[in-house]
Amino acid sequence: MSLTVWTVIFTSNNSAFGYSKESMITYIFLVAFLQSMIIASSLNGLASRLYSGEISNYLLKPINLFGLFAIQEIADKIKNLLFLFLESLFLFLIFKPIIVFPDLKLFLLFLIWSFGGLILNFIITLLFGSLGFWSPQVWGPKFLFFMILDFTAGKLFPLDILPIMLQKIIYLTPFPYLSFVQIQLFLNRLNSQDILKHTVILVFWIFILGTITNKIWKKGLKSYESVGI
Amino acid sequence: MRLKTYFNVWKIFGFNAIQENLVNRGSNILFMIGKVLRFSFSLIFLFLIKNTVSSFAGYTSAQMIVFFLTYQFIDLISQIFYRGTYVFSNEVRLGSFDAYLTKPINPLFRALTGKPDINDAIFMIPSLAVSFYIFNNLDISVTWLSLVWYLILVTNGLLIITAINILILSIGILTTETEGIIWIYRDLSSMGRFPIGMYMQPLRFVLFFIIPIGMMITIPTEVLLGVKPSFSIFVTILVGVGSLIASLKFWNWALKKYSGVGS
Repeated sequence: MSLTVWTVIFTSNNSAFGYSKESMITYIFLVAFLQSMIIASSLNGLASRLYSGEISNYLLKPINLFGLFAIQEIADKIKNLLFLFLESLFLFLIFKPIIVFPDLKLFLLFLIWSFGGLILNFIITLLFGSLGFWSPQVWGPKFLFFMILDFTAGKLFPLDILPIMLQKIIYLTPFPYLSFVQIQLFLNRLNSQDILKHTVILVFWIFILGTITNKIWKKGLKSYESVGI
Repeated sequence: MRLKTYFNVWKIFGFNAIQENLVNRGSNILFMIGKVLRFSFSLIFLFLIKNTVSSFAGYTSAQMIVFFLTYQFIDLISQIFYRGTYVFSNEVRLGSFDAYLTKPINPLFRALTGKPDINDAIFMIPSLAVSFYIFNNLDISVTWLSLVWYLILVTNGLLIITAINILILSIGILTTETEGIIWIYRDLSSMGRFPIGMYMQPLRFVLFFIIPIGMMITIPTEVLLGVKPSFSIFVTILVGVGSLIASLKFWNWALKKYSGVGS
Protein backbone atom coordinates (compact mmCIF):
# COMPACT_ATOMS: atom_id res chain seq x y z
CA MET A 1 0.00 0.00 0.00
CA SER A 2 2.78 2.43 0.95
CA LEU A 3 4.47 1.89 -2.41
CA THR A 4 1.25 2.65 -4.28
CA VAL A 5 0.46 5.70 -2.14
CA TRP A 6 3.87 7.23 -2.70
CA THR A 7 3.96 6.28 -6.38
CA VAL A 8 0.62 8.06 -6.82
CA ILE A 9 1.86 11.13 -4.95
CA PHE A 10 4.93 11.30 -7.17
CA THR A 11 3.02 10.93 -10.46
CA SER A 12 2.11 14.62 -10.33
CA ASN A 13 5.11 15.84 -8.30
CA ASN A 14 8.84 15.48 -8.96
CA SER A 15 9.61 15.92 -5.31
CA ALA A 16 7.57 16.05 -2.11
CA PHE A 17 8.47 16.49 1.56
CA GLY A 18 12.11 16.97 0.54
CA TYR A 19 12.34 13.55 -1.11
CA SER A 20 12.77 12.77 -4.80
CA LYS A 21 10.66 9.94 -6.21
CA GLU A 22 13.69 7.62 -6.33
CA SER A 23 14.71 8.24 -2.72
CA MET A 24 11.14 7.83 -1.45
CA ILE A 25 10.63 4.53 -3.29
CA THR A 26 14.03 3.36 -2.02
CA TYR A 27 12.91 4.40 1.46
CA ILE A 28 9.67 2.40 1.24
CA PHE A 29 11.47 -0.68 -0.08
CA LEU A 30 14.10 -0.50 2.64
CA VAL A 31 11.65 0.16 5.44
CA ALA A 32 9.61 -2.90 4.44
CA PHE A 33 12.79 -4.95 4.30
CA LEU A 34 14.25 -3.70 7.59
CA GLN A 35 10.98 -3.92 9.48
CA SER A 36 10.53 -7.52 8.42
CA MET A 37 14.09 -8.29 9.41
CA ILE A 38 14.37 -6.20 12.57
CA ILE A 39 10.88 -5.85 14.03
CA ALA A 40 9.22 -9.16 13.11
CA SER A 41 10.05 -11.44 16.04
CA SER A 42 9.44 -15.02 17.08
CA LEU A 43 9.35 -13.84 20.70
CA ASN A 44 6.08 -11.90 20.49
CA GLY A 45 4.31 -14.65 22.42
CA LEU A 46 7.00 -14.74 25.10
CA ALA A 47 4.84 -13.21 27.85
CA SER A 48 2.16 -15.88 27.53
CA ARG A 49 4.87 -18.57 27.44
CA LEU A 50 6.16 -17.19 30.74
CA TYR A 51 2.77 -16.86 32.39
CA SER A 52 1.64 -20.32 31.30
CA GLY A 53 4.78 -21.87 32.80
CA GLU A 54 5.99 -23.13 29.42
CA ILE A 55 9.54 -21.91 30.05
CA SER A 56 9.93 -24.14 33.14
CA ASN A 57 11.14 -26.86 30.80
CA TYR A 58 13.97 -24.64 29.56
CA LEU A 59 14.89 -23.44 33.03
CA LEU A 60 15.60 -27.02 34.08
CA LYS A 61 18.09 -27.50 31.27
CA PRO A 62 21.74 -26.44 31.42
CA ILE A 63 21.28 -23.75 28.79
CA ASN A 64 21.30 -19.98 28.87
CA LEU A 65 17.72 -18.73 28.42
CA PHE A 66 18.70 -15.53 26.58
CA GLY A 67 21.01 -17.60 24.36
CA LEU A 68 18.11 -19.90 23.52
CA PHE A 69 15.85 -16.95 22.68
CA ALA A 70 18.60 -15.44 20.54
CA ILE A 71 18.99 -18.69 18.57
CA GLN A 72 15.21 -18.91 18.07
CA GLU A 73 15.24 -15.31 16.89
CA ILE A 74 18.10 -15.90 14.42
CA ALA A 75 16.31 -18.97 13.01
CA ASP A 76 13.16 -16.90 12.58
CA LYS A 77 15.09 -14.11 10.80
CA ILE A 78 16.63 -16.61 8.37
CA LYS A 79 13.17 -17.94 7.58
CA ASN A 80 11.88 -14.36 7.11
CA LEU A 81 14.76 -13.58 4.80
CA LEU A 82 13.65 -16.21 2.30
CA PHE A 83 10.06 -14.94 2.17
CA LEU A 84 11.28 -11.37 2.15
CA PHE A 85 13.49 -12.06 -0.84
CA LEU A 86 10.55 -13.50 -2.81
CA GLU A 87 8.23 -10.67 -1.76
CA SER A 88 10.79 -7.97 -2.60
CA LEU A 89 11.47 -9.58 -5.99
CA PHE A 90 7.75 -9.57 -6.74
CA LEU A 91 7.35 -5.89 -5.78
CA PHE A 92 10.56 -5.01 -7.57
CA LEU A 93 9.25 -6.47 -10.82
CA ILE A 94 5.96 -4.58 -10.47
CA PHE A 95 7.26 -1.15 -9.43
CA LYS A 96 10.72 -1.34 -11.07
CA PRO A 97 12.20 1.13 -8.59
CA ILE A 98 15.59 2.78 -9.08
CA ILE A 99 17.36 2.06 -5.80
CA VAL A 100 20.28 4.37 -5.17
CA PHE A 101 23.03 2.59 -3.21
CA PRO A 102 25.43 4.50 -0.94
CA ASP A 103 29.23 4.08 -1.12
CA LEU A 104 30.82 1.01 0.47
CA LYS A 105 31.78 2.76 3.72
CA LEU A 106 28.24 3.98 4.37
CA PHE A 107 26.81 0.64 3.32
CA LEU A 108 28.97 -1.19 5.87
CA LEU A 109 27.91 1.25 8.55
CA PHE A 110 24.31 0.74 7.47
CA LEU A 111 24.73 -3.02 8.03
CA ILE A 112 26.26 -2.40 11.48
CA TRP A 113 23.43 -0.03 12.46
CA SER A 114 20.87 -2.55 11.18
CA PHE A 115 22.47 -5.20 13.36
CA GLY A 116 22.30 -2.71 16.25
CA GLY A 117 18.58 -2.19 15.50
CA LEU A 118 18.11 -5.95 15.57
CA ILE A 119 19.71 -6.20 19.01
CA LEU A 120 17.67 -3.24 20.24
CA ASN A 121 14.43 -4.85 19.09
CA PHE A 122 15.45 -8.16 20.70
CA ILE A 123 15.97 -6.36 24.01
CA ILE A 124 12.66 -4.45 23.75
CA THR A 125 10.82 -7.71 22.96
CA LEU A 126 12.40 -9.38 26.01
CA LEU A 127 11.42 -6.37 28.12
CA PHE A 128 7.78 -6.64 27.01
CA GLY A 129 7.90 -10.40 27.39
CA SER A 130 8.96 -10.02 31.02
CA LEU A 131 5.48 -8.66 31.80
CA GLY A 132 4.41 -12.31 31.65
CA PHE A 133 6.18 -12.93 34.98
CA TRP A 134 3.54 -10.90 36.76
CA SER A 135 0.41 -10.65 34.60
CA PRO A 136 -1.46 -12.55 31.89
CA GLN A 137 -2.81 -9.23 30.58
CA VAL A 138 -0.06 -8.35 28.16
CA TRP A 139 -2.07 -7.70 24.99
CA GLY A 140 -2.89 -4.10 26.00
CA PRO A 141 0.74 -2.94 26.34
CA LYS A 142 1.69 -5.01 23.28
CA PHE A 143 -1.03 -3.44 21.14
CA LEU A 144 0.03 0.04 22.26
CA PHE A 145 3.66 -0.82 21.54
CA PHE A 146 2.86 -2.00 18.01
CA MET A 147 0.72 1.06 17.33
CA ILE A 148 3.52 3.38 18.44
CA LEU A 149 6.04 1.35 16.49
CA ASP A 150 3.97 1.45 13.30
CA PHE A 151 4.39 5.19 13.10
CA THR A 152 7.50 6.05 15.06
CA ALA A 153 9.73 3.57 13.23
CA GLY A 154 8.68 5.21 9.94
CA LYS A 155 6.71 2.34 8.38
CA LEU A 156 4.18 4.33 6.34
CA PHE A 157 6.11 7.56 5.93
CA PRO A 158 9.54 8.96 6.81
CA LEU A 159 9.57 10.67 10.19
CA ASP A 160 11.23 13.82 8.85
CA ILE A 161 8.03 14.83 7.04
CA LEU A 162 6.35 15.30 10.43
CA PRO A 163 6.24 18.64 12.26
CA ILE A 164 9.54 19.37 14.08
CA MET A 165 7.91 19.22 17.52
CA LEU A 166 6.58 15.71 16.87
CA GLN A 167 9.95 14.59 15.49
CA LYS A 168 11.67 15.81 18.65
CA ILE A 169 9.26 13.79 20.81
CA ILE A 170 9.75 10.66 18.68
CA TYR A 171 13.54 11.01 18.89
CA LEU A 172 13.27 10.78 22.68
CA THR A 173 12.24 7.15 22.19
CA PRO A 174 14.35 4.24 20.86
CA PHE A 175 11.89 3.52 18.02
CA PRO A 176 13.52 5.58 15.21
CA TYR A 177 16.60 3.41 15.78
CA LEU A 178 14.71 0.30 14.71
CA SER A 179 14.83 1.23 11.02
CA PHE A 180 14.33 4.94 10.33
CA VAL A 181 17.85 6.24 11.06
CA GLN A 182 19.38 3.26 9.24
CA ILE A 183 17.50 4.22 6.07
CA GLN A 184 18.46 7.88 6.45
CA LEU A 185 22.07 6.68 6.46
CA PHE A 186 21.49 4.50 3.40
CA LEU A 187 19.93 7.43 1.54
CA ASN A 188 22.95 9.58 2.42
CA ARG A 189 20.78 12.12 4.27
CA LEU A 190 22.99 12.34 7.36
CA ASN A 191 26.15 14.40 7.78
CA SER A 192 29.16 13.12 9.75
CA GLN A 193 27.97 14.86 12.92
CA ASP A 194 24.54 13.17 12.68
CA ILE A 195 26.19 9.81 12.03
CA LEU A 196 28.30 10.14 15.18
CA LYS A 197 25.32 11.34 17.24
CA HIS A 198 23.04 8.50 16.11
CA THR A 199 25.77 5.89 16.65
CA VAL A 200 26.18 7.07 20.25
CA ILE A 201 22.41 7.14 20.84
CA LEU A 202 21.91 3.66 19.35
CA VAL A 203 24.64 2.23 21.62
CA PHE A 204 23.15 4.17 24.56
CA TRP A 205 19.68 2.63 24.03
CA ILE A 206 21.11 -0.87 23.68
CA PHE A 207 23.11 -0.42 26.89
CA ILE A 208 20.34 1.20 28.97
CA LEU A 209 17.50 -1.06 27.84
CA GLY A 210 19.79 -4.10 28.02
CA THR A 211 20.66 -3.31 31.64
CA ILE A 212 17.02 -2.67 32.60
CA THR A 213 15.84 -5.85 30.85
CA ASN A 214 18.53 -7.92 32.54
CA LYS A 215 17.55 -6.59 35.99
CA ILE A 216 13.82 -7.13 35.39
CA TRP A 217 14.40 -10.69 34.16
CA LYS A 218 16.52 -11.50 37.21
CA LYS A 219 13.74 -10.16 39.43
CA GLY A 220 11.10 -12.00 37.42
CA LEU A 221 12.94 -15.32 37.57
CA LYS A 222 13.28 -14.96 41.36
CA SER A 223 9.52 -14.60 41.72
CA TYR A 224 8.73 -17.22 39.06
CA GLU A 225 6.72 -20.23 40.22
CA SER A 226 5.26 -23.15 38.34
CA VAL A 227 3.60 -26.33 39.49
CA GLY A 228 3.05 -29.66 37.76
CA ILE A 229 4.08 -28.51 34.30
CA MET B 1 -40.74 -11.40 18.87
CA ARG B 2 -37.79 -13.55 17.70
CA LEU B 3 -35.84 -10.37 16.95
CA LYS B 4 -36.44 -9.19 20.52
CA THR B 5 -35.09 -12.48 21.86
CA TYR B 6 -31.93 -12.10 19.79
CA PHE B 7 -31.54 -8.51 20.93
CA ASN B 8 -31.83 -9.63 24.56
CA VAL B 9 -29.25 -12.36 23.99
CA TRP B 10 -26.89 -9.83 22.37
CA LYS B 11 -27.38 -7.54 25.38
CA ILE B 12 -26.13 -10.37 27.59
CA PHE B 13 -23.05 -10.75 25.34
CA GLY B 14 -22.51 -7.00 25.69
CA PHE B 15 -22.80 -7.03 29.49
CA ASN B 16 -20.40 -9.97 29.68
CA ALA B 17 -17.91 -8.09 27.52
CA ILE B 18 -18.23 -4.97 29.71
CA GLN B 19 -17.57 -7.04 32.84
CA GLU B 20 -14.53 -8.60 31.19
CA ASN B 21 -13.26 -5.15 30.26
CA LEU B 22 -13.71 -3.88 33.80
CA VAL B 23 -11.64 -6.77 35.15
CA ASN B 24 -8.79 -5.95 32.73
CA ARG B 25 -8.96 -2.17 33.11
CA GLY B 26 -5.24 -1.48 32.75
CA SER B 27 -4.83 -3.42 29.52
CA ASN B 28 -7.98 -1.88 28.08
CA ILE B 29 -6.85 1.67 28.80
CA LEU B 30 -3.58 1.00 26.98
CA PHE B 31 -5.52 -0.59 24.12
CA MET B 32 -7.65 2.55 23.89
CA ILE B 33 -4.58 4.81 23.87
CA GLY B 34 -3.19 2.67 21.03
CA LYS B 35 -6.39 3.15 19.03
CA VAL B 36 -6.34 6.91 19.59
CA LEU B 37 -2.69 7.10 18.53
CA ARG B 38 -3.31 5.10 15.35
CA PHE B 39 -6.25 7.31 14.39
CA SER B 40 -4.30 10.50 15.20
CA PHE B 41 -1.17 9.46 13.27
CA SER B 42 -3.23 8.42 10.24
CA LEU B 43 -4.96 11.80 10.27
CA ILE B 44 -1.66 13.66 10.67
CA PHE B 45 -0.29 11.79 7.64
CA LEU B 46 -3.38 12.58 5.56
CA PHE B 47 -3.30 16.25 6.52
CA LEU B 48 0.40 16.40 5.67
CA ILE B 49 -0.43 15.04 2.20
CA LYS B 50 -3.37 17.45 1.96
CA ASN B 51 -1.11 20.41 2.68
CA THR B 52 1.62 19.30 0.28
CA VAL B 53 -0.12 17.62 -2.65
CA SER B 54 -3.08 19.25 -4.42
CA SER B 55 -4.50 16.13 -6.09
CA PHE B 56 -4.21 12.43 -5.42
CA ALA B 57 -5.17 9.78 -7.98
CA GLY B 58 -7.70 12.18 -9.51
CA TYR B 59 -9.22 13.22 -6.20
CA THR B 60 -8.65 16.39 -4.24
CA SER B 61 -6.76 15.98 -0.97
CA ALA B 62 -9.93 16.88 0.95
CA GLN B 63 -11.85 14.12 -0.82
CA MET B 64 -9.12 11.66 0.10
CA ILE B 65 -9.70 12.35 3.77
CA VAL B 66 -13.37 11.37 3.34
CA PHE B 67 -12.25 7.97 2.01
CA PHE B 68 -10.24 7.48 5.19
CA LEU B 69 -13.12 8.58 7.46
CA THR B 70 -15.49 6.14 5.74
CA TYR B 71 -12.93 3.36 6.14
CA GLN B 72 -12.53 4.24 9.81
CA PHE B 73 -16.30 4.12 10.42
CA ILE B 74 -16.98 0.83 8.60
CA ASP B 75 -13.93 -0.83 10.14
CA LEU B 76 -14.99 0.20 13.65
CA ILE B 77 -18.53 -1.13 13.17
CA SER B 78 -17.08 -4.43 12.05
CA GLN B 79 -14.74 -4.56 15.06
CA ILE B 80 -17.53 -3.71 17.51
CA PHE B 81 -19.97 -6.37 16.34
CA TYR B 82 -17.90 -9.12 14.78
CA ARG B 83 -14.95 -9.50 17.12
CA GLY B 84 -16.05 -13.10 17.75
CA THR B 85 -14.62 -14.04 14.35
CA TYR B 86 -11.09 -13.57 15.75
CA VAL B 87 -11.46 -16.26 18.40
CA PHE B 88 -13.86 -18.61 16.64
CA SER B 89 -11.33 -21.11 15.30
CA ASN B 90 -10.03 -21.55 18.84
CA GLU B 91 -13.57 -22.31 20.03
CA VAL B 92 -13.88 -24.94 17.31
CA ARG B 93 -10.55 -26.48 18.38
CA LEU B 94 -11.50 -26.48 22.07
CA GLY B 95 -14.96 -27.84 21.38
CA SER B 96 -16.84 -24.83 22.77
CA PHE B 97 -18.68 -24.59 19.48
CA ASP B 98 -20.43 -27.87 20.31
CA ALA B 99 -22.23 -26.03 23.10
CA TYR B 100 -23.40 -23.30 20.70
CA LEU B 101 -25.09 -25.92 18.58
CA THR B 102 -27.18 -27.21 21.46
CA LYS B 103 -28.59 -23.76 22.34
CA PRO B 104 -31.94 -22.54 20.98
CA ILE B 105 -30.35 -19.65 19.09
CA ASN B 106 -28.72 -19.61 15.71
CA PRO B 107 -25.06 -20.76 16.12
CA LEU B 108 -23.99 -18.31 13.44
CA PHE B 109 -25.43 -15.44 15.46
CA ARG B 110 -23.52 -16.61 18.52
CA ALA B 111 -20.25 -17.18 16.64
CA LEU B 112 -20.45 -13.86 14.83
CA THR B 113 -21.67 -11.50 17.55
CA GLY B 114 -20.83 -13.39 20.74
CA LYS B 115 -17.89 -11.18 21.68
CA PRO B 116 -18.68 -7.51 21.07
CA ASP B 117 -15.65 -5.23 21.38
CA ILE B 118 -16.46 -2.71 24.07
CA ASN B 119 -13.20 -0.80 23.57
CA ASP B 120 -14.12 -0.09 19.97
CA ALA B 121 -17.67 0.81 20.99
CA ILE B 122 -16.28 3.43 23.39
CA PHE B 123 -13.73 4.60 20.83
CA MET B 124 -16.54 5.04 18.30
CA ILE B 125 -17.84 8.11 20.20
CA PRO B 126 -14.73 10.36 19.97
CA SER B 127 -13.92 8.92 16.55
CA LEU B 128 -17.33 9.93 15.18
CA ALA B 129 -17.13 13.35 16.81
CA VAL B 130 -13.70 14.04 15.30
CA SER B 131 -14.82 12.67 11.92
CA PHE B 132 -17.87 14.98 11.82
CA TYR B 133 -15.74 17.95 12.85
CA ILE B 134 -13.17 17.24 10.13
CA PHE B 135 -15.87 16.55 7.54
CA ASN B 136 -17.58 19.88 8.29
CA ASN B 137 -14.31 21.76 7.82
CA LEU B 138 -13.33 20.13 4.53
CA ASP B 139 -13.73 21.95 1.26
CA ILE B 140 -16.33 19.61 -0.23
CA SER B 141 -20.01 19.92 -1.11
CA VAL B 142 -22.54 17.21 -0.38
CA THR B 143 -26.20 17.06 -1.42
CA TRP B 144 -29.00 15.44 0.56
CA LEU B 145 -29.51 12.91 -2.22
CA SER B 146 -25.87 11.85 -2.24
CA LEU B 147 -25.99 11.58 1.56
CA VAL B 148 -29.00 9.24 1.39
CA TRP B 149 -27.26 7.08 -1.24
CA TYR B 150 -24.12 7.12 0.89
CA LEU B 151 -26.03 5.75 3.87
CA ILE B 152 -27.65 3.06 1.71
CA LEU B 153 -24.28 2.05 0.27
CA VAL B 154 -22.58 2.07 3.69
CA THR B 155 -25.34 -0.29 4.86
CA ASN B 156 -24.57 -2.39 1.79
CA GLY B 157 -20.90 -2.26 2.85
CA LEU B 158 -21.90 -3.65 6.24
CA LEU B 159 -23.59 -6.55 4.44
CA ILE B 160 -20.29 -7.23 2.67
CA ILE B 161 -18.37 -7.10 5.96
CA THR B 162 -20.90 -9.51 7.46
CA ALA B 163 -20.43 -11.82 4.47
CA ILE B 164 -16.63 -11.75 4.81
CA ASN B 165 -16.87 -12.55 8.52
CA ILE B 166 -19.27 -15.45 7.82
CA LEU B 167 -16.81 -16.72 5.22
CA ILE B 168 -13.98 -16.62 7.78
CA LEU B 169 -16.14 -18.46 10.35
CA SER B 170 -16.97 -21.13 7.78
CA ILE B 171 -13.28 -21.58 7.00
CA GLY B 172 -12.76 -21.85 10.77
CA ILE B 173 -15.17 -24.80 10.86
CA LEU B 174 -13.50 -26.51 7.92
CA THR B 175 -9.86 -25.93 8.86
CA THR B 176 -9.93 -24.91 12.58
CA GLU B 177 -7.29 -22.30 11.70
CA THR B 178 -8.20 -18.75 10.63
CA GLU B 179 -5.48 -16.53 12.07
CA GLY B 180 -3.65 -16.25 8.76
CA ILE B 181 -6.76 -15.48 6.75
CA ILE B 182 -7.87 -12.85 9.28
CA TRP B 183 -4.51 -11.06 8.94
CA ILE B 184 -4.71 -11.20 5.14
CA TYR B 185 -8.20 -9.70 5.34
CA ARG B 186 -7.06 -7.00 7.80
CA ASP B 187 -4.15 -6.08 5.52
CA LEU B 188 -6.35 -5.97 2.43
CA SER B 189 -9.11 -4.01 4.14
CA SER B 190 -6.60 -1.39 5.31
CA MET B 191 -5.98 -0.67 1.63
CA GLY B 192 -9.48 0.82 1.65
CA ARG B 193 -8.09 3.85 3.48
CA PHE B 194 -7.33 5.13 -0.01
CA PRO B 195 -9.52 4.97 -3.14
CA ILE B 196 -9.17 1.48 -4.62
CA GLY B 197 -8.96 2.92 -8.15
CA MET B 198 -5.36 3.98 -7.44
CA TYR B 199 -4.11 0.38 -7.14
CA MET B 200 -2.81 -1.52 -10.16
CA GLN B 201 -4.64 -4.37 -11.88
CA PRO B 202 -5.22 -7.21 -10.99
CA LEU B 203 -5.13 -6.01 -7.36
CA ARG B 204 -7.85 -3.46 -8.17
CA PHE B 205 -10.11 -6.22 -9.53
CA VAL B 206 -9.47 -8.35 -6.42
CA LEU B 207 -10.34 -5.42 -4.15
CA PHE B 208 -13.58 -4.73 -6.01
CA PHE B 209 -14.87 -8.23 -6.68
CA ILE B 210 -13.03 -10.96 -4.76
CA ILE B 211 -12.62 -9.26 -1.36
CA PRO B 212 -14.92 -6.33 -2.21
CA ILE B 213 -13.29 -3.65 -0.05
CA GLY B 214 -13.86 -1.17 -2.90
CA MET B 215 -17.61 -1.82 -2.89
CA MET B 216 -17.61 -1.34 0.90
CA ILE B 217 -15.68 1.91 1.10
CA THR B 218 -14.67 3.45 -2.24
CA ILE B 219 -18.09 3.41 -4.01
CA PRO B 220 -20.12 4.90 -1.08
CA THR B 221 -17.51 7.66 -0.69
CA GLU B 222 -17.45 8.41 -4.42
CA VAL B 223 -21.26 8.70 -4.42
CA LEU B 224 -21.16 10.98 -1.36
CA LEU B 225 -18.59 13.23 -3.02
CA GLY B 226 -20.61 13.42 -6.26
CA VAL B 227 -17.81 11.72 -8.22
CA LYS B 228 -18.75 9.19 -10.93
CA PRO B 229 -18.53 5.85 -9.05
CA SER B 230 -16.03 3.23 -10.26
CA PHE B 231 -18.96 0.79 -10.66
CA SER B 232 -22.71 1.45 -10.76
CA ILE B 233 -24.81 1.45 -7.61
CA PHE B 234 -26.73 -1.52 -9.02
CA VAL B 235 -23.53 -3.60 -9.33
CA THR B 236 -22.44 -2.51 -5.83
CA ILE B 237 -25.73 -3.59 -4.24
CA LEU B 238 -25.68 -6.79 -6.28
CA VAL B 239 -22.21 -7.61 -4.90
CA GLY B 240 -23.37 -6.75 -1.34
CA VAL B 241 -26.53 -8.86 -1.35
CA GLY B 242 -24.95 -11.58 -3.49
CA SER B 243 -21.94 -11.98 -1.20
CA LEU B 244 -24.19 -12.27 1.86
CA ILE B 245 -26.36 -14.95 0.25
CA ALA B 246 -23.29 -16.85 -0.98
CA SER B 247 -21.61 -16.68 2.44
CA LEU B 248 -24.76 -17.98 4.19
CA LYS B 249 -24.91 -20.90 1.77
CA PHE B 250 -21.22 -21.59 2.40
CA TRP B 251 -21.78 -21.47 6.18
CA ASN B 252 -24.66 -23.97 5.95
CA TRP B 253 -22.47 -26.26 3.83
CA ALA B 254 -19.51 -25.92 6.23
CA LEU B 255 -21.77 -26.60 9.22
CA LYS B 256 -22.70 -29.97 7.71
CA LYS B 257 -18.99 -30.84 7.55
CA TYR B 258 -18.46 -29.98 11.24
CA SER B 259 -17.53 -32.79 13.54
CA GLY B 260 -17.60 -32.03 17.26
CA VAL B 261 -14.92 -33.05 19.68
CA GLY B 262 -17.43 -34.27 22.25
CA SER B 263 -16.69 -31.61 24.86
